[in-house]
Amino acid sequence: MAPRLEINGLSKFFPGVRALDDVSMNVEAGEIRALLGENGAGKSTLGKIVAGVYSRDQGTVLVDGAEIGTLDEKAAGDLGIGIVHQEGSLVPQLSVAENIFAGRQPTQWLGQVNVRAMREQAKALIAQLGVAIDPALKVSALSPAQAQIVEIAKALSRDLRILILDEPTAALTLTETEKLFDVVRRLAGNGVSVIYVSHRLAEIFALCHSVTVLKDGRLAGTRKVAETSTDELIRLMVGRDVHFSRSPAGRKIGDVVLQAQNVDAPPLVRSASITVRAGEIVCLAGLIGSGRSEFCEAIFGARRRHGGSVRIGGTAIDPKGPWDGKHAGIGMVPEDRKAAGLFLGMDIVNNVAATVLSRVSSGANFSNRKAEALARNFVDELRIATPSVHQIVGNLSGGNQQKVLLAKWLAMEPRLLIVDEPTRGVDVGARSEIYRLLRALADKGVALLVVSSDLPEVLALADRIVVMAEGRTVGELPGDGASEEQVLRLATRYTASVAEVRNQADMAEA
Amino acid sequence: MQITQPLAETAERRRENLLVRIVRRLADSRELTLFVLVVALALAMSIVYPNNFPTASNMRAVLLNLAPVGMLVCGMMLLMIGGTFDLSVGSTLAFSGVWAGVVAGWWGWPAESAVLVGILVGALCGLVNGLIVTRIGINALIATLGTLTIYRSLTYVTAGTGVTPISDAFAAYGRAADPLFRIQSPFWAMLVLVLVGGWLVARTRFFRQFYFIGGNPRAAQLSGIRVDRLILIGFVIMGALAGLAGVLGAARLNSAVVNAGVGIELKVITATVLGGASLKGGEGTILGGILGVLFIALIENAMIINAIGVFWQGLVVGLVLLFAVSLDRFKTSGRA
Ligand SMILES: Nc1ncnc2c1ncn2[C@@H]1O[C@H](COP(=O)(O)OP(=O)(O)OP(=O)(O)O)[C@@H](O)[C@H]1O
Ligand SMILES: [Mg+2]
Repeated sequence: MAPRLEINGLSKFFPGVRALDDVSMNVEAGEIRALLGENGAGKSTLGKIVAGVYSRDQGTVLVDGAEIGTLDEKAAGDLGIGIVHQEGSLVPQLSVAENIFAGRQPTQWLGQVNVRAMREQAKALIAQLGVAIDPALKVSALSPAQAQIVEIAKALSRDLRILILDEPTAALTLTETEKLFDVVRRLAGNGVSVIYVSHRLAEIFALCHSVTVLKDGRLAGTRKVAETSTDELIRLMVGRDVHFSRSPAGRKIGDVVLQAQNVDAPPLVRSASITVRAGEIVCLAGLIGSGRSEFCEAIFGARRRHGGSVRIGGTAIDPKGPWDGKHAGIGMVPEDRKAAGLFLGMDIVNNVAATVLSRVSSGANFSNRKAEALARNFVDELRIATPSVHQIVGNLSGGNQQKVLLAKWLAMEPRLLIVDEPTRGVDVGARSEIYRLLRALADKGVALLVVSSDLPEVLALADRIVVMAEGRTVGELPGDGASEEQVLRLATRYTASVAEVRNQADMAEA
Repeated sequence: MQITQPLAETAERRRENLLVRIVRRLADSRELTLFVLVVALALAMSIVYPNNFPTASNMRAVLLNLAPVGMLVCGMMLLMIGGTFDLSVGSTLAFSGVWAGVVAGWWGWPAESAVLVGILVGALCGLVNGLIVTRIGINALIATLGTLTIYRSLTYVTAGTGVTPISDAFAAYGRAADPLFRIQSPFWAMLVLVLVGGWLVARTRFFRQFYFIGGNPRAAQLSGIRVDRLILIGFVIMGALAGLAGVLGAARLNSAVVNAGVGIELKVITATVLGGASLKGGEGTILGGILGVLFIALIENAMIINAIGVFWQGLVVGLVLLFAVSLDRFKTSGRA
């Protein structure tokens, strides 16, 4: 029998970039195939070609033995090919249910949308993922993690033959990830083929049957998961060995830089306190909806604070907006790089310059030369893969976008750098670079507050771990010697269920 | 990923014929496209209408007529770069002109103060627009559609049928002409604005912030850019420019007309979009905007020389706009 999906000699060119070069692979029905590779290796491009988002330049694609010609998203959907995009594809102004059934809403007489049926079905799809999200909510009111869950539900709403998941767990915590895995396994059990893109190797060993590695747009190899190892995969991907060791202790920890006490920013932050010293990396852990990002925003000035105090270097600050936070020496890398972080239509130079307009100017004049020099520095230092510093950031691969986002805030040379999910969608090689970079920053005496849903990351980075639950800081662990279980126990002890917190939050907002 | 510049480029090249390449090259820079179009049009018109088009008096008329639109385009471009726009400019223009007329004509104040009052009234109108948009958070389309009718109505309330004549001293402001080309002051005012504004928007750090706001307002806010304040300033500048255009227009005619500037907002926005602004924001230059104005002015002139009725003008300008914007689809930097 023909394989479910057969790709032969697939190539795709972008101006100045060969994103895919003669890639061939077969995926059987019911197989879960991991797609691995560094940032910019071409994983998303491959997924998008199969799903009809991009056209291919060379090669053939066969589904169940039948060659598919040029197809668009709609035709691919009708063929039973579903995709969850890395960068999100929801319409923020519309409700969760409408997004899930975009263009295919259940109708009643005269083609009227049957809102009740649509919401019921949406609710059921989301419940499958073990989460409760009100289908009537607007997508703009969701957290990135919730939005991700809605994306997945949207893909599940069709009769699928092939499901492409492009880094679906980047915004999810452990519990939600496991729910997702259950769903994927069930789908595969029913004969759906899954292409699963992720940078988290552990997930691949937990979920997938086989793995295909891309390097620089070329096929680097395909392996059975049972017959390979992390080291081999990393070598295929990066071409060298990469290690994530904890930072050696003995960094000089200095004076208190950030002291936040009983910060109250309803509805999601009730009473949170934290202290970060110069040269220290403090990780803020917790479940989705525990108010970590919101707490950070309140410190930075991106969210109104109703109570409590924030001191930077001993001076109380009351930021009216992010500009005040920035003025006090705080930088914040936001969680949602597409909506809140980057200027996707602008080039790398301008993105990097956005936080340091005065530094890249001579007098009142914006200096393109200085901005370019600055951007070039970061492209080299962070090894951002791009044909030039004038590449439009929206055209970079997800991981490289994340590096640009980081560069934008590193350029500002903050005293306190808040990083919300520093390695979302970043490949192993780059991840270790970002860790190195954050550590180097700490070595230079910068205070770092890192929010992360990735527990191994928390354990690798943190000098101290602060755990939040239900908008409160509920506990603290030394980074050295802490275990995932300890963190999880603290994070869940106070939380009946995530859904409950959300419901309360919604009520408080109403 | 491989950065295979030469290889990929040649692969790309082979599949494109010469024509596509030229179109692409032109489409990459809106200013260049427009410049070529403007020069070509001017040449063609010089050849076809050697007696009517390239004459001093026709040139003078064209340049003087485009002055108010040119001034407004400077402000509109700034707003559209920041991702917003102002529909009330025509009404603001009339309201400012009428106030200058009232102050100089009815109250007999000195001409200088009348000019000042006119510009201030314009800036005030802009401030109100800006406050409605940024503080109350009403969408710019609705907000300025509302003030468009409000300001026009206030104009009628203030001056009934207008102020005619105003005063000779005041009129001198709009009629003064340079000795060499003998073009009146509105054109020169516009030229100065375009040059200074063009430099400010293209080069200065302050105005560069508008590109970020238009590019992604949320990211701009989180980058520490004071989005609301800058948008407010943008509206005030827009209003002040409309005020200046209104004052100079009234001065040139020595008459403050209550119907001045009716419908001008559409012409201004057309020129701005033609000049490279995107409705999504984050793109455009004043140079492009003014080339857009020039282009439309030439087309209108051609139709006047040809004695084609005004009824057809809208059709041609509309088609040109659609054509120029569709060029965007050829951009190399666009999504594949
Ligand atoms: N629309 C586009 N225009 C130009 N170049 C593009 C476009 N889309 C992707 N590319 C380039 O193609 C290459 C492959 O990108 P792709 O998004 O497939 O990488 P990826 O493997 O998904 O990486 P990541 O892990 O960072 O998401 C990158 O170099 C990227 O810059
Ligand atoms: Mg990708």
